[in-house]
Amino acid sequence: MKKYAYYPGCSLESLAKGYHLSAMAVTKEFGLELNEIKDWNCCGSTAYFPVDELLAYTLVSRNLALAEKMGASDFVAPCSACYKNAYFTNSYLQSDTDLADHINYALEEDQLHVDGSLKVRHLIELFIEDVKLEEVEKKATHPLKGLRVAPYYGCQLVRPRKAKEDVENPRYFENLLSAIGAEPIEYANKTRCCGGSLIITNRKAALSMVQILLQDAVIHGADVIATTCPMCDVNLEVYQEQVNREFGTHYSVPVMYFTQLMGLALGIDPGRLGVGKSELASLQAKAVAQPAESQ
Amino acid sequence: MTERIGVYVCHCGTNIAGVVDVAAVSKWAGEALAGRGVVIARDYKFMCSSLGQELIQKDIKEQKLTRVVVAACSPHLHERTFRNACKGAGLNPYLCELVSIREQDSWVHTDKVAATAKAKAIISGGVERVIHHEALEPLRVPIHPATMVVGGGIAGIQAALEIADAGFPVYLVEREPSIGGHMAQFDKTFPTLDCSACILTPKMVDVGNHPNITLMTYSEVQKVDGYVGNFAVTVKKKARYIKEADCTGCGICWEKCPWKFVDEVFEAGMAKRKAVYTPFPQAVPKYPVIDDQTCVYFSKGTCKACQKFCPTNAIDFEQKDELLTVQVGNIVLATGFDLFDVNRIPQYGYKRLANVYTNLEFERLCNAAGPTGGNIVLRDGKTVPKAVGIVHCVGSRDQNYNPYCSSVCCMQSLKFAHLVHERTGADVYNFYIDIRTPSKGYEEFYQRLLEEGTHFVRGKVAEITDTARTPEEEGKLVIQVEDTLIGKQRRIPVDMVVLSAGLQARHDAKDVAKMFGIACSAENWYTERHPKLDPVATMTEGIYIAGCAQGPKDIPASVAQGAAAAARILGKIQQKEIALEPVRASINEEQCSGCRICNSLCPFSAILFHEDKMVSEVNPALCQGCGTCVAACPAGAISGTGFSNEQILSQIEGLLLLNIPVKEAVA
Amino acid sequence: MVADLSFSQEITNLMYASHGEPISHCLQCGTCSGTCPAVEFMDHSPRALIGMIRADLKEEVLASNTYWSCASCFYCNARCPAGIDIAEMMYALKRYSMWKGRSREGLIGPDFSEAFVKMIVNSGRSFEPLLAATYLPKFSAAAIIQEGLTATGLVLSGKMPLLPKKIKGLKNFRRMVRRIIPIGEPE
Repeated sequence: MKKYAYYPGCSLESLAKGYHLSAMAVTKEFGLELNEIKDWNCCGSTAYFPVDELLAYTLVSRNLALAEKMGASDFVAPCSACYKNAYFTNSYLQSDTDLADHINYALEEDQLHVDGSLKVRHLIELFIEDVKLEEVEKKATHPLKGLRVAPYYGCQLVRPRKAKEDVENPRYFENLLSAIGAEPIEYANKTRCCGGSLIITNRKAALSMVQILLQDAVIHGADVIATTCPMCDVNLEVYQEQVNREFGTHYSVPVMYFTQLMGLALGIDPGRLGVGKSELASLQAKAVAQPAESQ
Repeated sequence: MTERIGVYVCHCGTNIAGVVDVAAVSKWAGEALAGRGVVIARDYKFMCSSLGQELIQKDIKEQKLTRVVVAACSPHLHERTFRNACKGAGLNPYLCELVSIREQDSWVHTDKVAATAKAKAIISGGVERVIHHEALEPLRVPIHPATMVVGGGIAGIQAALEIADAGFPVYLVEREPSIGGHMAQFDKTFPTLDCSACILTPKMVDVGNHPNITLMTYSEVQKVDGYVGNFAVTVKKKARYIKEADCTGCGICWEKCPWKFVDEVFEAGMAKRKAVYTPFPQAVPKYPVIDDQTCVYFSKGTCKACQKFCPTNAIDFEQKDELLTVQVGNIVLATGFDLFDVNRIPQYGYKRLANVYTNLEFERLCNAAGPTGGNIVLRDGKTVPKAVGIVHCVGSRDQNYNPYCSSVCCMQSLKFAHLVHERTGADVYNFYIDIRTPSKGYEEFYQRLLEEGTHFVRGKVAEITDTARTPEEEGKLVIQVEDTLIGKQRRIPVDMVVLSAGLQARHDAKDVAKMFGIACSAENWYTERHPKLDPVATMTEGIYIAGCAQGPKDIPASVAQGAAAAARILGKIQQKEIALEPVRASINEEQCSGCRICNSLCPFSAILFHEDKMVSEVNPALCQGCGTCVAACPAGAISGTGFSNEQILSQIEGLLLLNIPVKEAVA
Repeated sequence: MVADLSFSQEITNLMYASHGEPISHCLQCGTCSGTCPAVEFMDHSPRALIGMIRADLKEEVLASNTYWSCASCFYCNARCPAGIDIAEMMYALKRYSMWKGRSREGLIGPDFSEAFVKMIVNSGRSFEPLLAATYLPKFSAAAIIQEGLTATGLVLSGKMPLLPKKIKGLKNFRRMVRRIIPIGEPE
């Protein structure tokens, strides 16, 4: 059994509570043991790097060191920004001994040391690679038949490129959605940025980016947009109202975390997944509705 | 007996003299090295000049020199010059040694004192070495007058015709059923807009009719043995299942064939052909082939319609592949290029979006003998586009794909723009990073396209999508790009997109190079002997390269290279024999233990093993004198002429000034 | 001598960990700007900004809103034919501007990042409401009301953190930070 060190990240405690709840529930169903790292700190998302590079890597490294201390083999992050930060910090620690030395010098103050020995994973990878899709399909006793889902990868899950993988047209999210019985839709902008922190620092830009995504998903018949990152989820869901006001549109697309959809397909009680009653009702309505109307 | 050595130190203008005190060095050589055999030492402004050479020649005669050391530039430049000078004065050229005090001394040091001392050491090394030189004679090898040209594209055709016209036999081997190569697929050629087939087919017909050319189409080289002047090449002639002696090329067989398949090769997937077919109407030779991968007779044993209807009974389903071995003296590799696979750039939408075309597909579209009779229409076969986008640099100039520029795509893209203007009146957009129009008439062609009202947008296309954001974009292909000259991102809706995909080496170029014993670059283009001064020869004597197989180029350059290779070969054939550098390895039979370690190490496959005597032997014609076997032999049984252990060790002793009294060494 | 460094070199020096090619390799092809989802909101496209850096137009570059409008989505990186780490270059410009205290007036980014880092140094975790103080003052009245409504929605659905959190090992954490850069209270 792999030992997973779970790094929830700041938003999973409140803003993305549904993500955390559903992640715990679903991983449990598959026998994946996610152990939360004790006393983890904020990874910085995109906010540290504008200030100091070395500090940013150090703050991320503390979490890697804590996970290594736990004896974990894998560092699992559900948030794409946390994932991207941890992945590349870990990778640089492996290849750059000067950087590693400098960071470990700072970590000494907290009696910590980082080796770069972990494998850094995004939560979604666990289902694709460790559990495998056949297993997911087997356990999906309540397949989401007729539900058209837009797989929203977002940007930092996919990029920067890590090895030789396809960053223009990845297919694993679609495959996962098919495995839980849903109908993934094809749309071009599935890896286009939602704006991320621009929602704060350049709201106009972020709202326009959200609008383009919502438009693309809706035109291609999405009943719901599935996300892999709290930032993306908040931008697409919480700011939909503001987008409508800014652009005169009338979007009302439900946005849910992929683990919530998985949980529903596994027959887990919606309450345990952080899925609200009205959300559930609208999903069920869409699933039985004729798909033809959107095209 | 001590040798009588002459030392000549060149100033090379100020190249050497500006750093090394050449007068002092020459004086020192005459004094300190006198005990080693130096009887005369001179310095001169330009040793390589006629006067400089005459100095050496005079001394050889008057001073009865038995050895010469010239201290000047690198042997790459003037070794031949000084060797010939010595030869002219009656001294064996291999008794002359050129040591570099320029590239290895004056050009790499600024400390004059140190550089002068180093020059003395280098000359001392040369003197010690040359004492152990032997008089050598170059190896003479006869040249078989026949030539093989591999590849029947325009470069290969040109080479074959030139050699054949000069009266010598040529075997032209081509993998496809017909010669013509990529040029046969094009519609028009830039910048003259000549019809490609119209200028190509006369040459193809000449090849087909030429008494001196043996055309081997639908054939591939299997094995190459031998060496320059004496190659034995084994060619596999794939079965056409047509008896060439009986076939008249009437075409009834392919008319009657009921089975159609997409032609991925000649038609670039744009049209269908039959199971028995010629790739295009002007094919040379005219004989069709039956494709046994698609013909129903071979998979199910039925049909045979072609055989039923053939008026001369020329169909033979029992025909077998033939293996022939031919003797040739020289080989030209003109195997051409493959197109970059645009599927590697998914954001350009090829296959996902119907009306995105590759350049080869577009050529077939424009070709009068192509699938639409030369009409530029969309995939539905009838809609004429109102706006066409042509994307430059697809897969080229890109670290993610091919880093090099493919040379011809800018001109090809301009040509496409012109054809669209001419035949449709559509709006044409060309998306480029730079417009590369270097050759004769090319810039004028660009001017013409500007006059025709082409919209040039300087920006590398970021993505092509059908997801509309505005009503104008509905139902269109949207090209998203930054118009860098105005600094704004633009989304330009068009009906059709043509991707100017770059050129790549053939997928099997590396294997072919290995078979012929030549090298490839990192991108698998065949490696020429010198990138500037010898683009058609290779490091392997007797093998020449021409056309796009050496690197992306346009048709005039391919033709020029084909002709150049032919000229080189004709020169060799005229000489009837070739002199090979005598710097080679040779194995002392008595010391050889037959371990065969050297056999597999030789990069030129030049070592044979004699089973009966249990010893290895170096074939002097194939041996390039690289020295690998010399170093590897555990018994020390191999020595290199011109690079013997004795010579090298002596040179080291000379460099360390070990053989002269200390007092004089530090002068 | 520091004074002899070009602006291009200064920026490159702030991209320590980046594995991309130097910005001197830029062909100015425009792929980055053709791809960038935020380019419409930038006064100079990423490509133009690189051109300006190479032309040593330091003040104009720092005064541009381009690098503060970068969402760091890395799409430019993925497609750049010269292999330049453009997103990291944008971060380097942010760092340079923060270090020198030079950026355009009225941008939210600089204050937001500074406040964020200070908050982390103080507590080890982020707390959204605290950050509101950095950007709300720069919003229009209408935007403030919008934000208020959105925030209320979040509070009602239980998604807004109401109390800031602190990590337990805060003392050591702060000492760790001071070993990198001297910010926060000395212990």
